[in-house]
Amino acid sequence: MRRLPVYILIQTSGAMRGEPIESIKVGLEAMVASLRQDPFALESVYMSLITFNRTPEQLLPLTELENLQIPTIQQPTSAGTHLGEALEFLCKKVEAEVQLSTPDRKGDWSPLLFIMCDGRASDIQLFNQILPEVKRRNFGSIIACSVGSKTDVENLKKITDQIVSLDTTDSSTFRQFFKWVSASVSIGNRSIGATSDLVLPPPPPEVHTVI
Amino acid sequence: MEENSVTPPLNDISNDKVANDAFALQIKNKSISLPNGKVNQQYCIPFTFEQLGIEDINDFWFDGLENIGLKYNPDTSEISGNPTVAGDHKIKLSIKRKDWTENKPIFERELVLVINHDPKSLWKEIPTPTDTEYYKPDSAKQFLKVEASTGFLKFGKEFRKDIVVASQRGRSHAHEGKARDDDFGVAYDKGNQWYIMSVADGAGSAKSSRRGSEIVCKTFVEVCQSQLSTQHENFEHLIKEFSKETSDANRKKLGDTLYSIVGAGVFKAYKNIEEEAQKSGKPIKDFSTTLIVSICKKFKFGWFVGAFWVGDGAIGIYNKETQFLKLLGESDSGEFAGQTRFLTMPEITQPAELYRRLRFDIVPDFTALILMTDGISDPKFETDANLMKIEKWNELWTDLLQMVTFADDNELAAGQLLKWLDFWSPGNHDDRTIAILY
Repeated sequence: MRRLPVYILIQTSGAMRGEPIESIKVGLEAMVASLRQDPFALESVYMSLITFNRTPEQLLPLTELENLQIPTIQQPTSAGTHLGEALEFLCKKVEAEVQLSTPDRKGDWSPLLFIMCDGRASDIQLFNQILPEVKRRNFGSIIACSVGSKTDVENLKKITDQIVSLDTTDSSTFRQFFKWVSASVSIGNRSIGATSDLVLPPPPPEVHTVI
Repeated sequence: MEENSVTPPLNDISNDKVANDAFALQIKNKSISLPNGKVNQQYCIPFTFEQLGIEDINDFWFDGLENIGLKYNPDTSEISGNPTVAGDHKIKLSIKRKDWTENKPIFERELVLVINHDPKSLWKEIPTPTDTEYYKPDSAKQFLKVEASTGFLKFGKEFRKDIVVASQRGRSHAHEGKARDDDFGVAYDKGNQWYIMSVADGAGSAKSSRRGSEIVCKTFVEVCQSQLSTQHENFEHLIKEFSKETSDANRKKLGDTLYSIVGAGVFKAYKNIEEEAQKSGKPIKDFSTTLIVSICKKFKFGWFVGAFWVGDGAIGIYNKETQFLKLLGESDSGEFAGQTRFLTMPEITQPAELYRRLRFDIVPDFTALILMTDGISDPKFETDANLMKIEKWNELWTDLLQMVTFADDNELAAGQLLKWLDFWSPGNHDDRTIAILY
């Protein structure tokens, strides 16, 4: 069976404290519930959840949707936003967890990455160093969602050209976003092949495309 | 616990309250999770407080298990049953402490038990709207009957191989009411007795690939028919020479002529896509498709089989009796699943590359010559290495025999083969097309 690895990277530093992180939790639950309604996702999606502030942490190693239970995301306390370190950590996880095709083994679908953060990187030097590494992982698609009022979109643009921003950080907006994410994941399952660009469904009105 | 050790002595009632509060906190904060279940799949997990490291329990029970088909069995300490309802179910766990009496608190904890749908039950079968651009039926089948030749005074009756083909839209397309991207084409020329076969798989991500696969299969068969009608005498002469002596010179001459027939068919197939792209104002990439083709004919010394293959899927000559297998090319696969090459990629139709992908052989006989798209090769062979293993082809053939009667002139075989294509394999729901000469 071929797996579709989905990585979700969430910033949990001080800026996300309160409503944003609560909304993300609600959104994640809604997304998983909706993916569970999709037979293709049930048979192929493997999901990993990585949070980061001063240090990155993999709350959920790559787990098949069928057995997945959403872990508890703690309220942020730490101040640092080490986006560079988080991406470096992510690359290592992808390296270890995603299977490439060999003559004797069927490879995974190319992985999808969703990043939710304010785009700021306290470790800007490492961040710039790690960007080529991220590109080398050949993600089927990378979608960045800028959260918060003081975002650094320029940084996000270095990671991907698919950037969305949310009007507000209440739970219904996040639910819309994650619903869209799950639709994108469902499509990611089927449309990889002739082209490397994933054609995503149009985002809902609450989600704005940045560029 | 450290806090307890510094707790000053209290009277019984407040002592009890402290213990209860501590217990309530323990219950609230303890990580208690129930593994996910699946509808109609036996669920059985052990549940004890010992395993959770919680002591001093008098009694406990669950609310919410029965209505989803589960129950807790105190004798075996297991939650078990056959889940009937999918969803995120809220289960209430109620607990009495060891010295519980009337009016003392009962502690509660809400758990979430996820019961997944059986994916099989979620697949929808939505017919493709007939006004879809480049519409094609959701399934297709064909039996190409080549009747036995009758010799002088009906003596020496010779059976001739037939072709059976079936193509079925995959569940992932059916689920969204999208059209089949696969296609096929077959022909037999009564005059020169050549068989021509092709199967193609339009890329899932390319918008008009169903038209691409249709164009290439149709074009290939047409071009080969016309090429063979003019070239077959010279071609057959070279085949006979090669059968007598497999020298490099003979191989080269035969290869070059095969190139002028099969290569011409493949190249024209590409040109016709180019033309369609220009006419419709769409990029060629939109018509991306794989292509596997073969031409063959029976001679006194055996069967000549020529082939061309670009993309995934497979083509093989299989002989059950002699356990002979010959794969007529190589599968194009990338580092990730679903990545492959397409006829529409500019490098493929370069003469050298086209030539490199040609294969031919002369074999005494075979049980079946099989062409298939990845909708079948992925679930049945899984890896490229397995395509080379005769055991896997044996399994495939045994599996086919369960549902298809490969008897001479059995026209029912087409329907049987189409039915066979409905086999279940988790995660493999691509379009499926198979063409068999037997």
